[in-house]
This record gives sequence, C-alpha cells and structure tokens, in this order.
Amino acid sequence: MQERRSKLTSISDAVALIPDGAKVAIGGSLIRKAPMALVRELVRQKKKNLTLYSWSAGMDFDMLIGAGCAKEAWSSYCGMFNLGMAKNFRRAVEACECRFVDLSETCAMDKFRASAYGLTFAISKTPLHSGIMNNPEFKEITCPFTGEKYVAMEAFHPDFSIVHAHRADKYGNVQLDAVRMMDNEMDIYIAKCAKTTIMSVEEIVPEEEIIRTPTMTVLPKLFVDYVVHAPYGAHPNSCDCRYDFDLEHGEYYQKCSDTKEGFEQYLQEYVYGTTEEEYIEKVGGLENLEARLGRGGWES
Amino acid sequence: MKRYTLEELLTVEVSKRIIDDEMNFTGIGTGGKAYIRACGIPLVAVRLAQMKHAPNALCMMGPVLDPLLDAASVPDHNWEYDLIKWPCRSQIPLEDALGIFRLGKSGLAFASGAQVDKWGNLNIGMIGDDYSKPKVRFPGVLAQTDLAAFAKRVCIIVPHEKRVLVDHVDFISGVGHENREGLPGGGPTYVMTNLAIMDFNPETRQMRVHSIHPGVTADMIRENTGFDIEIPENVMTTPEPSDEDLRLIREEIDPGRKFLNAYITSEPASLED
Repeated sequence: MQERRSKLTSISDAVALIPDGAKVAIGGSLIRKAPMALVRELVRQKKKNLTLYSWSAGMDFDMLIGAGCAKEAWSSYCGMFNLGMAKNFRRAVEACECRFVDLSETCAMDKFRASAYGLTFAISKTPLHSGIMNNPEFKEITCPFTGEKYVAMEAFHPDFSIVHAHRADKYGNVQLDAVRMMDNEMDIYIAKCAKTTIMSVEEIVPEEEIIRTPTMTVLPKLFVDYVVHAPYGAHPNSCDCRYDFDLEHGEYYQKCSDTKEGFEQYLQEYVYGTTEEEYIEKVGGLENLEARLGRGGWES
Repeated sequence: MKRYTLEELLTVEVSKRIIDDEMNFTGIGTGGKAYIRACGIPLVAVRLAQMKHAPNALCMMGPVLDPLLDAASVPDHNWEYDLIKWPCRSQIPLEDALGIFRLGKSGLAFASGAQVDKWGNLNIGMIGDDYSKPKVRFPGVLAQTDLAAFAKRVCIIVPHEKRVLVDHVDFISGVGHENREGLPGGGPTYVMTNLAIMDFNPETRQMRVHSIHPGVTADMIRENTGFDIEIPENVMTTPEPSDEDLRLIREEIDPGRKFLNAYITSEPASLED
C-alpha cells in the first residue's frame, strides 16, 4: 500500500506559498484565536498588496496593515477589544494607505457562508440605506418571489484561508475542543471557502486519537491543504479554554503602536528579526506562557 | 447627596421598557463608559425587569444566551474564558445567534455611537465628509447595522453633547427613521442621555424629548443638542428610581458595580464624570 500524504509543513514554507497581491481570509474574532503565528510570518516575509477578509478582526489586521502588507481589508470590526483602538489600522486607513470595507456581522458571515456553500453571492436586507452601500460592491436586487428589496453581496473567494485550531493529525483532520467560544464558529466556514487552506494547530496528535474522537473533527482533511504545528500560535490572542489573551504583551503592543516608528521597532524586535520559535522564547517560552496564561482545564 | 446615580436612573427607565417573553440584545462590550452604555445598564435593567414585571424576558450577550445575572453568578472579568464559562442556559454557534435578528426574535436591542442624528441614524463607522478618506476611522459597525435593521425596538444610550446629537450623521452604521423602506425592524425607539429620555414623533419621524431628568432644564437640552429638537409643552420629568429598585440593583444584582461602573472590564468608569 502506498504511504498517505502528510500535510504537515513548516510555518515559513506554508506562508511562502502566499504571493503578493493574494486575497487572504483570516480566522478568529476580535483578539481571540487569530492565527497570529501565520500572520507574523506574512509580515516576516514582507508580503505586499494583500486583500484581507475577516468576520471580525483585531491584532491580525492591525499588524498586517501596520506593516504595510495590505492594500484592502474587509471586516465588521478592526479593534483591540478591551485594549482600545487598533492604532495601526486607524492610522493607515485615515492616511488612505489601506481601503477598509465596512461589513456588518451578518454581512461578513453571509459572504463567508455563501462561499462555503458553493454559492456566488448572498442576499441581505441589513445594508439597505446604510453606509455599507457606500461600497460599489453591494447591489440592490428584488426577490423574484415576493418583490422584497435585498442587497446582493458577492461571496468571499479568498486565494488562501489561514485559521488557527486546537489539534490535528498530520493528514489534516482538524479538531476543535468541545467547549469553546461560539463566536469563533465562523472559522469553520472561513476554512472551507479558500482555494488553499492553511491551518495552524496547538497540537499534532496521532491519527488514532482522531479516530477515537471523530465528532470533534469539524474540518476533515478534504478541506485542509496544509497543517503547521504552532503551540501558542494565537499568542497574544486568547485561544478558547486553552489560554487567555496576554494582557501584558497586548499593552506593550498598544504602547508601541502609538507611533509609526514605535510600531516599526516592535516589528523589528518581535517579528522581522525572529523565527516563530524565537518569538515564543522572547515572550517567555512555552512553560512560562502555560503558567501565566494557561487554563489547563480544557475539556475534550 | 443625590439618592441615586445616573446609571441607576437610566437602568430603572430601561427596565420599565423590557417586555416579558422578549429577547433583549447587548454585545459583549469592551470597557469604560462604552461598556456601561452598551452592556452594563442593559444587563442590570434586564435582570431588574425579570425580578419585577418580566420574569420570562431573556437576553443575549454575544454568544452567551440567557445568562445568569445575579451577583453570585457574574464573573470578575469579561475576558474570553469568563464568557465561555459564564453560567447561562445556552451558547449557540455564531450563525444561529446572528440568525435570531433575521427571524424577528430580537425585542429591545441596545446601541451607542459617536453620532446619532435627529432621525435616529447611528454612526460608529467614521467621521468625515468622504467615506474613502475618513478624518477619524472607528473600529467598525459590528452588529449595529443588523440590530437597527431587524430588532423590534432599539434603545440608544449616548452622552448628551452637540457633537454626538447631530443634524445628520457622517456615516450610517444603524439606520434610523429617515428611510427604512424594506427594513423589517422597528428602528430606534428611545434615546437616553445624561439629560433626558427621547423618543420619536410618529408624524415627523424625528427625535423629541419624552422626559427631562430631575434638575435638568429644557434650555440645557437645547444648548447641548446639535439640531432643533422638539420639546413638547408640559414635558414630564423622568421619575426618580424607587427605594426598592435601588435596593435590588445595589444589593442583589450589582453590588460590585461590575456592570454599572464597568468593574468587570479592565477600565472602570462612571457616566457622571
């Protein structure tokens, strides 16, 4: 029998597949469970002119936009939740260095869901008469059955989706812990709508463990092209019941982001001059992170 | 010394407007005054209403549906783990939670914003004349456009300032009564501030003063409103909270001021500052 293909790859090799100008969908919400290890690698590899899609973004968009990687960004939010404004995002959009397209939470959800359902567009009443209609991509249509007015919204068709999850086997069967933040369920749709899907996971487990717990496999391998092992790969974001947001690092990030120069220094210190392994050491190392942020009580 | 705080006054007024059996929508909130307006006051109001006239009312706090809101059940913080572990009757996937709007099952929804205009249009998007060149860019519209489109009623809580209550918003993140053609929801119903409670005149579809808070004059309202606001003759005074309401709020629901002064967030605050 022939050996089955392993989808396990390194962070740098996976991200090297993403060309300048690509459309990239990013999982997570606010400052929760964004695939920050993959985001840092996009910055490290100095990608340019990306178009970013998110349901509700946070530090992921802020870092990519602040580092000059993106020309356009679509989301219902780009902020730092309890830590305030996403300062790099705000600075860049106000300077017209990046176009931001406002979506409501249902509109962003609908555009991902349409794509994951194999449709070319979604319909919604939400944008009617709102500022969302300032964007020429939204077009009014009429229901052929009832005559009601709707807005047609093109499905998101990202070239790549990057999403963080709890565990997977090397074949790309991806699982989520049973107890998790239900606001992040859009991740499952985001992973299904790209031409190429790259998943980072906290743990690589043997296939036997996946077979023992198949109802946790929310993304079987046919939806997943590459898997990278990234423990604390959402850091400084939180990751459901596994670890909390790193408030200390988040506050430092916000302080650095007060100015363009300060943020450049942050990137030099934590991103450009490091590998992902070195980044984890710089922020304290895995043991320290576990002691400081880990909850240790996740249920599978 | 005043018997009650502004937060308590508004909480009691909101709670009177909670209808039994309805679902009330708040977000999960961030911190500071924004938290008090968008989450703190609404959540205490829902609990107070449940204890009084609306035992079957429920609320949705992001993904946390029908949470326990008594002092003993409320976590110390509102970080992700606390939200996941908040005692509640249901946590449903995002698509189902957001689907509640479209199914018309959202009763009173709460909103705030940088600008609200005479039509009740809300703005939490951007400030400036040109959408493509924002003078000030805010984080984004979140679910505000959805709740303004679909909720049966919307309660807006904002500070009473000229730059907030404007003639027309720069960007419509929540649609008011200027043009609601095709939108199933009822749109903005109440606007509550530190000076007054406003509603909307059904004939003009524009904001008008419903009641003036104790100690506030009509002139103070005119001076702090960015458009010519209707103040009916013999407008009533906002009733002061009863002793029993204050006791329930202070002793049973929110003794730690986690909601009404945002101690649950990393940024405690007061609307009276």
